[in-house]
Amino acid sequence: MSSIWERVAGFLVRQRNNPAIATISILLALIVVFSSLSDRFLTIENFQNVSRSVSAIVIVGCAVTLVMVARGLDLSVGSVLAATAVTAAFLAANGVNLWLSYLAALGLGLALGALNAIFVVGLKVTPIISTLGTMNIARGIAYLITPSAILVGLPSEWALLGTGSYFGMPSPTLFAVAFVIFFSWILNRTVLGRHVYAIGGNEEAARLAGVNVNRTLFLLYTTTGFSVAIAAIVLSSRLGSGDPNIGIGFEFDVIVAVILGGTSLAGGVGRISGTVIGALIVGFLSNGLNLVGVEPFWQYIAKGSALVVAVVLDRFAGREGRSKKTKEAPKGK
Amino acid sequence: MADRTVPRIAGEQGAVASARETSPKPGPLLSATKLEKLFPGVTALQGVDVEVFPGEIQCWIGENGAGKSTLIKVFAGYYQKDSGTTSVNGLEVDIEDPIHSLSLGMSFILQELSVVPGLTVMDNILLGHEVSLAGNVLRSRQASRAKILLESIGFGSISPRELVASLSVAEQQAVMVARALHLDANVIFFDETTASLGAEEAQKIFKVMEKIKGEGKAVVFVTHRLDEVMRVADRVTVFKDGEIVESGLVSEFSMESMVTKMVGREISNVFPEKDREPSDVVLELVSVTTQNVQNVSFTLRRGEVVALAGLVGSGRTEVLESIFGLEKLSSGEIRLKGQRLNPANPVAAINAGIGLVPEDRRSQGIVALRSVEENLTLSWAGRTEKKGWRKKGVGLAKDFIDKMAIRTPSQKQLIGLLSGGNQQKVVVSRWLATNPKVLLLDEPTRGIDVGAKSEMYRLIDSLARGGLAILLVSSEMTEVLGLADRILVMRRGQIAGELDGSTSEEEVLKLAMLEKETT
Repeated sequence: MSSIWERVAGFLVRQRNNPAIATISILLALIVVFSSLSDRFLTIENFQNVSRSVSAIVIVGCAVTLVMVARGLDLSVGSVLAATAVTAAFLAANGVNLWLSYLAALGLGLALGALNAIFVVGLKVTPIISTLGTMNIARGIAYLITPSAILVGLPSEWALLGTGSYFGMPSPTLFAVAFVIFFSWILNRTVLGRHVYAIGGNEEAARLAGVNVNRTLFLLYTTTGFSVAIAAIVLSSRLGSGDPNIGIGFEFDVIVAVILGGTSLAGGVGRISGTVIGALIVGFLSNGLNLVGVEPFWQYIAKGSALVVAVVLDRFAGREGRSKKTKEAPKGK
Repeated sequence: MADRTVPRIAGEQGAVASARETSPKPGPLLSATKLEKLFPGVTALQGVDVEVFPGEIQCWIGENGAGKSTLIKVFAGYYQKDSGTTSVNGLEVDIEDPIHSLSLGMSFILQELSVVPGLTVMDNILLGHEVSLAGNVLRSRQASRAKILLESIGFGSISPRELVASLSVAEQQAVMVARALHLDANVIFFDETTASLGAEEAQKIFKVMEKIKGEGKAVVFVTHRLDEVMRVADRVTVFKDGEIVESGLVSEFSMESMVTKMVGREISNVFPEKDREPSDVVLELVSVTTQNVQNVSFTLRRGEVVALAGLVGSGRTEVLESIFGLEKLSSGEIRLKGQRLNPANPVAAINAGIGLVPEDRRSQGIVALRSVEENLTLSWAGRTEKKGWRKKGVGLAKDFIDKMAIRTPSQKQLIGLLSGGNQQKVVVSRWLATNPKVLLLDEPTRGIDVGAKSEMYRLIDSLARGGLAILLVSSEMTEVLGLADRILVMRRGQIAGELDGSTSEEEVLKLAMLEKETT
């Protein structure tokens, strides 16, 4: 019988090529460092806090992971978050049935996602420009609904979805877990998931193999809009208000999480589990810096550096992958 | 005009330049001896001796893959030779990279134009060598310089301030020539420059060549159109299988003798017997016309291999694309088993039972970073097999790996790590999994080694015997002749003629290259 250490060593050897090993190491290093700097860090309560605060990043990050694996991008998620949150709050505050308000928010999320899809798929505008456009459109909608004011005076049931905890997990965390399970299933077990990888890996090959590229991309962008609306409902329920200013910089956190998680900017590579780890890195970084008493401004610098580091890591990984490709003899004419 | 000296990089180029001035007799401007270039599994050039003299137009002819483009790329510095020597003005020199090649006085007008469409004519001509003062481009000086260069090649009608994007293809090529002259090029290569031009435009390019020749410079012209060779060449060099089989004055050749020289090779026994028995018609094209092909009609039967032969750019791939729903039909009809199909997109074509193995495996065939199994089941999963495909897919992949002898450690291996031949087998398997009626193969053996090629030939034969209708596009004549029951020869977007599978290479080339109908 092999000893436990041999098994551990064997496991580690098998994992040496796992692309997630670098990000998991970063996460563990962060936890170790902040644990030694603050005795309030390594507590169940604090971990619950972090999981609650990253839940929106995870919920949206799952959908954005699919978009980015398919070689797309969505910069509009932060603004769509605000527009849908404000829509739900505005309707609820004006006496509309709570669930109908939520339904309206989900509808708006879908519509804004569809708008991205129309720009990208229908009008063939690059994803970065398309979603930058929608980003501003959605923010405008949020301010139009409630100019410069935070909506309060919401019904008491408003807090139902976003507060409280079940099975020892805060409610938003449960939503995030559900999303992670659902999107992992989509990406790993369904035809759709295969098509997402194929489109990101080689769109032309996918198209020639009979993958309906346009329909798939349309689905991914609308799904993202829908997921953002769910995140918005959970988040504003937790905050107890509808704020047109929420979600500024949210798209940045989501993209950092997805990239840190190993999703390649060049498409075709990425996993939901990676995005979860990426989101936790983002969450623990903010939380740890807060606890240690670092000024919030420094957190921007930390997150910005993390993004660039992540992209550099992505490029090294990509280069390794490319060098493995067999060379072929070019043919003369 | 063109005698303006370009600032040269110090070193051997300076020596070359001075050697040019002092050289007493007109030796070759450019030469190569015993040149060899190897690629993994392929000898692209072997023992090539070539000389280019001042004041001549030399035409390089040969089949696709004969080595012409490879030799050009060695001179251009894109490839490094493996052995042999290259000399410029009688001085031996190793061409290191494209910039070095340029400084040695060589320029290349390629089929894929390397102009910047968004810049003006003068900015293109003087790109990288702008007439400037303290970083400011002197526009009027640029314009007059560009004007002089363009007039010298008979294209004075082009305005230097026009955008290159608004010019015709021939005019854009003229811009490239002007640029070459500005860079003081002595040898200008035209690589199939006229392939995309009409007769009138081609005439203009020939005039440019004559002008260059008249100035004591040299033109190397690669073309597949033998009538053009007869018209402009001073000397002809014939390539075959990476070697030069003959080089001499154009007066020593006729069009027929050129074709014979380009061919003259036995078809080895790598091909299976052609005793297949085609049955009923599966696919029928009736006067199919698209943007790129005109009036294409033919039938394809069960158990039959039909080849589309012709030059690159003659519309072979476009015919496949129209059948696969990638080219919009402006008129005509595509029928599958007697039913009108005219697919609007690949999904419609695939659902009807058509598969396409595309021309460029790496960019169109495979998803390199995914597994063999995923690549193999990409068209099958969710289409042919809607439920329970995940488990069955693994079994299916294993079956095909066995049946097709795909050499891979397992079905989980990334396809990008397999050899070209094995990748291609996976792409073919992808279609077989969907139970197609018609399989379209576009250059199915491109970039795969000899052993894998003969395996692919046996596979194509056994698929046809299994009742599949196969339409093959190949630039390798041996392949076309060795596999096809019938050969449709294309020229300029039309079917120039149909030949029996037992025909000769010469007959096919005559139909593909010669403007006159010979059959």
